Amino acid sequence: MNGPVDAAIDEVPPSSFQPESADGDEPPRQRFELEDTGFKEVPKRWRKFYRIWQGEGDSLGPNEVICPVCKVVIRSHREFRPGDRVYCMPCMSRMVVVRRPDGSLEAEVTY
Amino acid sequence: MADVDHDEEPHLLEEDQFLQEVHSFSFWFEAIEGYLEDRPRGYVETLGEPTDSKTMSDADRDQLITTLCNYCVGESTALEASSGLVRMAPNNHSRIFLATQVADEARHLEVFLRRLEMLGVTNPEAEVEARAASGLVEFRKRLLDLVDQGDWEAAVFAQNVLLESMEDTVFKFHESVADTITQQMLEGVVADERRHLGFGENDLGRRLAHDPDGRSRLAAIRADLDPLVLASFDSVYRELGLSREDQPQLGKEYLATVERLGLTT
Repeated sequence: MNGPVDAAIDEVPPSSFQPESADGDEPPRQRFELEDTGFKEVPKRWRKFYRIWQGEGDSLGPNEVICPVCKVVIRSHREFRPGDRVYCMPCMSRMVVVRRPDGSLEAEVTY
Repeated sequence: MADVDHDEEPHLLEEDQFLQEVHSFSFWFEAIEGYLEDRPRGYVETLGEPTDSKTMSDADRDQLITTLCNYCVGESTALEASSGLVRMAPNNHSRIFLATQVADEARHLEVFLRRLEMLGVTNPEAEVEARAASGLVEFRKRLLDLVDQGDWEAAVFAQNVLLESMEDTVFKFHESVADTITQQMLEGVVADERRHLGFGENDLGRRLAHDPDGRSRLAAIRADLDPLVLASFDSVYRELGLSREDQPQLGKEYLATVERLGLTT
C-alpha cells in the first residue's frame, strides 16, 4: 500500500511511548496495522515502518512523520504524540516528535 | 546485530541498540539486498536494451557521457576519501559503517563506468579525465587533502554532507528524466546516499553539540568548498538540458542540513 492511511484497528494505551497525561484528558492512542509499502532500503523486518513520500497529493496519517534528514516517511503502530522518540533507520537518525504552532506534528533531529 | 524482539517496532529500541543495529554489516547487507538483488550490474538486465536507450540521439548520448563522467569523479572521490576515513574513525560503529560506504562507493563507480561502456566509450578512465569539471577536480583535491591531514570533522562534512547532498539532489532529479537503464542505476545509488548523508549529519551533530567552537571552523571550510561543488552540479543541470528557471533548488536540502548543524555564516 502506498497511501498514508493505515487501518486503525483498536484503541489501546501506549506502552513505551510518551505516557498519557496524568489527568486523563487525552484519549487513548489509536493503534494501526501497518502494511509493507514496498520500501526496500532496510532489512525486511523493519520495512513496514517506512515508506517513500509520494509528493503532491500524499498526506501523513496520525502515526506518520517525515524524517527531516532523508525525507522518508517514518511510521508506527501507534498514533504519534509530542515527545515520542522515533528512529529513521534508512538514514540512521534519531528524532523526537514535536507539535508545530499550526497543530501538525513534525520530527526534530536529536544528535 | 542488536538482540531485539522482531515483533517490536524500531522506535522502541534503546539508543545503543538502534545504533548497533543500523551500523552493522548485516543491516547494510539486508538493506542493499532489497534493492540490488535483481540488478547485480545496477539495472535489470533481463529486460534487454530498452527502446529509449536504442533511440537516444547522438547529442543526448554525448551529454549523458559528460554527466556520467562527472558522476564518476564524485564517486571515485568518495571511494578514496571514505576508505581513508576508516583509519581515523573515532569508534568501531563508525569504522564498520565506513567500510560499508567504501563498498557502496565502489559499486557506484563500477555501474557508472559500465554505463559509459554501454554508451560506446571505449576507454572510460580516459574519458572521465577528459570531461571532468574543473571545480569537481579541485574539490576532490581539497577533500583528499583533508583526509590526508587527518581532519575527521572537516572531511566528514565535505564528503558526507556537502558532496552527498549535492549528489542526492542531482541524482534524484536525473532519475526522473533519465533513460530506463540510467534511471535504474541512479535509483540504487540514491538509496545508498540516504545512509551516507545520515551518517555525516548525525556524527557531526553529536560532535558539535560538545564542541561549539567547531562550528565556526566548519562554517569557514564550508564557505571555501561550497562554490566548487555547487558550480559543478549546476553544470550537470545544464548538460541535462534544463534552463535555470526549470532547475530544482540545487542547494535547498543541503542548506537545511547546514542550518540544523548550525553551520550558517
